[in-house]
Amino acid sequence: MAAMMQPQIILLKEGTDTAQGKAQVVSNINACTAVADSVRSTLGPRGMDKLIHDDKGNTTISNDGATIMKLLDIVHPAAKILVDIAKSQDSEVGDGTTTVVLLAGEFLKEAKPFIEDGVHSQNLIRSYRTASNLAINKIRDLSVSIEGKSLEEKKTLLAKCAETTLSSKLIGGEKEFFALMVVDAVLAIGDGDRLNLIGIKKVPGGTMRDSFLVNGVAFKKTFSYAGFEQQPKSFVKPKILLLNIELELKSEKENAEIRLSDPSQYQSIVDAEWNIIYDKLDKCVQSGAKIVLSRLAIGDLATQYFADRDIFCAGRVTEEDLQRVAAATGGTVQTSVNNVIDEVLGYCELFEEKQVGNERFNIFSGCPAGQTATIVLRGGADQFIDEAERSLHDAIMIVRRAVKNSTVVAGGGAIDMEISRYLRQHARTIAGKSQLFINSYAKALEVIPRQLCDNAGFDATDVLNKLRQKHASGEGANYGVDINTGGIADSFANFVWEPSVVKINAINAATEAACLILSVDETVKNPKSESAQGEAAASAMAGRGRGLPRGGRGMRRR
Amino acid sequence: MVFHMQPYGIQGLLKEGHKHLSGLDEAVLKNIDACKQLTLITRTSLGPNGMNKMIINHLDKLFVTNDAATIVNELEVQHPAAKILVLAGKAQQEEIGDGANLTISFAGEILQNAEELIRMGLHPSEIISGYTKAINKTIELLEELVEEGSENMDVRSKVEVVSRMKAAVSSKRFGEEDILCPLIADACIQVCPKNPANFNVDNVRIVKLVGGGLHNCSVVRGMILKNDAIGSIKKVEKAKIVVFTGGVDTSATETKGTVLIQNAEQLEKYAKTEEAKVEELIKAVADSGAKVVVSGAAVGEMALHFCERYKLMVLKISSKFELRRFCRTTGAVALLKLCPPNPDNLGYADSVSVEEIGGARVTIVKNDEAGNSVTTVVLRGSTDSILDDLERAVDDGVNTYKAMCRDSRILPGAAATEIELARKLKEFSFKETGLDQYAIAKFAESFEMVPKILADNAGLNAMEIISSLYAEHASGNTKVGIDIEEGVCKDVSNLNIWDLYVTKFFALKYATDAACTVLRVDQIIMSKPAGGPKRDQPAGMDED
Repeated sequence: MAAMMQPQIILLKEGTDTAQGKAQVVSNINACTAVADSVRSTLGPRGMDKLIHDDKGNTTISNDGATIMKLLDIVHPAAKILVDIAKSQDSEVGDGTTTVVLLAGEFLKEAKPFIEDGVHSQNLIRSYRTASNLAINKIRDLSVSIEGKSLEEKKTLLAKCAETTLSSKLIGGEKEFFALMVVDAVLAIGDGDRLNLIGIKKVPGGTMRDSFLVNGVAFKKTFSYAGFEQQPKSFVKPKILLLNIELELKSEKENAEIRLSDPSQYQSIVDAEWNIIYDKLDKCVQSGAKIVLSRLAIGDLATQYFADRDIFCAGRVTEEDLQRVAAATGGTVQTSVNNVIDEVLGYCELFEEKQVGNERFNIFSGCPAGQTATIVLRGGADQFIDEAERSLHDAIMIVRRAVKNSTVVAGGGAIDMEISRYLRQHARTIAGKSQLFINSYAKALEVIPRQLCDNAGFDATDVLNKLRQKHASGEGANYGVDINTGGIADSFANFVWEPSVVKINAINAATEAACLILSVDETVKNPKSESAQGEAAASAMAGRGRGLPRGGRGMRRR
Repeated sequence: MVFHMQPYGIQGLLKEGHKHLSGLDEAVLKNIDACKQLTLITRTSLGPNGMNKMIINHLDKLFVTNDAATIVNELEVQHPAAKILVLAGKAQQEEIGDGANLTISFAGEILQNAEELIRMGLHPSEIISGYTKAINKTIELLEELVEEGSENMDVRSKVEVVSRMKAAVSSKRFGEEDILCPLIADACIQVCPKNPANFNVDNVRIVKLVGGGLHNCSVVRGMILKNDAIGSIKKVEKAKIVVFTGGVDTSATETKGTVLIQNAEQLEKYAKTEEAKVEELIKAVADSGAKVVVSGAAVGEMALHFCERYKLMVLKISSKFELRRFCRTTGAVALLKLCPPNPDNLGYADSVSVEEIGGARVTIVKNDEAGNSVTTVVLRGSTDSILDDLERAVDDGVNTYKAMCRDSRILPGAAATEIELARKLKEFSFKETGLDQYAIAKFAESFEMVPKILADNAGLNAMEIISSLYAEHASGNTKVGIDIEEGVCKDVSNLNIWDLYVTKFFALKYATDAACTVLRVDQIIMSKPAGGPKRDQPAGMDED
């Protein structure tokens, strides 16, 4: 009884998990390095792909860091931060997601021995922040502007950037082909920076080389009714009417009811309904449009009506496609057929229906407003096309950033080596502990060229030493790994280029994440409210009633 | 046991299952112990070099922060005595918005020292009276320490604001205060009303957008809505704005009604008249000069069609609060239903445009003219947790601004004030007769906690620092504090580290009040928890 009466201190709810101190920092670091290890092998042109099989049975093949991280379903709170930075890199720049995770992992790995030796994390954090600022400024110094070149020249330059991105992807074999396509697509949308104006359509079958770019809009033939085949399938300079209404015989309004006392009126009501729909169709025709698209259904009556008048129509066009058509042709989507003025009609040079694989595509090209482009992707397996789509998305983002910021740096690990050298040099001018920390930061940056070599099967140590020597000589700032020969080469001269914003953002995000993880010295995990039962069963304090502790327990602390 | 001992004393008085703890050992010391445990968690987060805590709350949301108010809020503290400390921290957070950690840590420290006094044989009531005397004296001393001339400040001067805000912000995001402070100061000064005392923290909005980094943060005069415009018009300059709280749609009856149609003619007209009605309304809106229509609810397709036709930009703001702020920003009067607006009810913005920031599309409502009352701080960072932490830092900064609008007096920061207080209080304690002396001395000693933690968290030798601080202060340099970056003692007036007087005043006061409340308890009676669904299933042994 005496033992039972002993007062006790229960500060937190039962089932609360707390961990504190150095061990916590180290364990967080370990978790993050483990995550970084899982994407490590996907880096670079010779990176391997990952096949991820999720619990729903979907298979994804990818070497896009962000995609992999998202699918990994990480629960460790610290490692989740890495997922976050991969996502943020994806949304901010679109590419370099593997790089950012790898860098963050490497920064932490380098920090680990210091933490174990008892260095206060704040010292490390401060040095890392300084180092990252220095690195970013150095990138700005080293970057080369592609501004002020002629359009043709700029195009080839942008294509180089796209090629660098694509070379690390599944479709790397056809990078020149796709790079040009991507650049054309991005330039087509111009300043209107709405990404969804570039459509990517996937059609299985054929080869990659059969993919093509439509300077306008293309979408799969929609469901059609009888009479559709009689409609003309090709127009030169047609006017286009975009609708958001149903062209079908149907009750006009849900909340209207007709009560008739005189049976003879019945026919007049039926006629009236027909009149309404004919009236609508007539107005469409009156507007002068040759093509009628609607987001909602276009019924068989309407299809036939249009076919008789040599007008092409398509119903149930997806919202996205319709918006794209609107943007491309300069039309506006109408919710009413009354008072259709010329101004709201779209216009394009050529409309045609084309067979692609076993799908038929409606293609609008030569649009005056430009601003849209559609890439039709061909290829074997579904997974392959999916991955190709992701790769193209990355490339598109990269080119967009390059257009906006128009500065590039040498890729292939060259810029990383150069910053690393610069930081090492800078470190020597500092007295005190932070010299070591900045040095380790510099060392961590070398992970990029090292991983490039590892993934390609080269001797990383050998290549790195050559690179270090070259960079130290003072004139080899642009030298990076030559992935073809296993030696080193001037990346800049070989057109391995990356937009500088990719690198800047990657270093920034990786450093922020690393600092965040280093600064955590305690994790408190409260029991989940919903699954309290499961939690309690697992780590039970034995059923002694909640919050009414008896057996002289201290705080649960590990 | 068959012959159960008859319950006696208070046990006989209460229902079975009650717990009853009393006396010094069982109640007071255990309470103190619990509070100590709590402060162990928070104290490592004190100061610029404080460590972050990672907290996963019961909803599985992850917090990474060193903001004590957030930590204790999410910790779900259960111990009744420790809860008192948490409440003191919350009171501080609500009153000032900063300094919660000082409150909790200081309360923990003086309780810990009280434990020693109890072990020496002092009665808690004597300790309480000693502590009360001490805090009264502290407050007197605090006023003496106020930096001269600081009571008059220009709350619109960026330099002065930044210097006062720096300490609060740097304790949250150390090393980033040079970027954050000017941003916060700008934002605050822009919305500062004629009478600064009426400053409303709600007028400084924060928008968090993942991506980019700290140097991409900015301040926008006006508002940022985190969604796209509905129609195809994405940019309008110098626009008059009309706001409808209801939807922009054909009005429908609430009661279920059916339109009765008698003949064919009516049927044909039905659709047309409805369309004409909407057009008429939208036309009236367009004729009033408005270029932007803001709707608090759904926008009907038909209405949207005519808005496009009349070149009106359409925005949807579903949050009531956001809509109210929008009205305040633009000076518009919200109209309940779709009707032709009165020119007086129209708002105005310099520009309304949809822009892409870090992959997200946002609508920026700018209003550079005077008369606007909302500014937005755009925060950028690579992860949600960093953004959340930045937001708390900005919140602290804004709250500090509010506090300085009311009382701009400042004290030397970086532990200089604490050491001075400790020194003066100790002198004071010697002059006291009676047992209070011990309590006051301990109270004075408790102030050493601040420099100790600051030094500890920065990886410096705390004892050395404290002794050299005392030496400096004894020789008359009362403004000497710790320079964390270099690890030496320096005059803080040169470093420009200042704390607000009110923050410190309330923190110390709340801490002492909380500690005295905890000390006053000598009995704990816990009733048996009421029945209800059993949450914790009995299970085997503990795993750890």
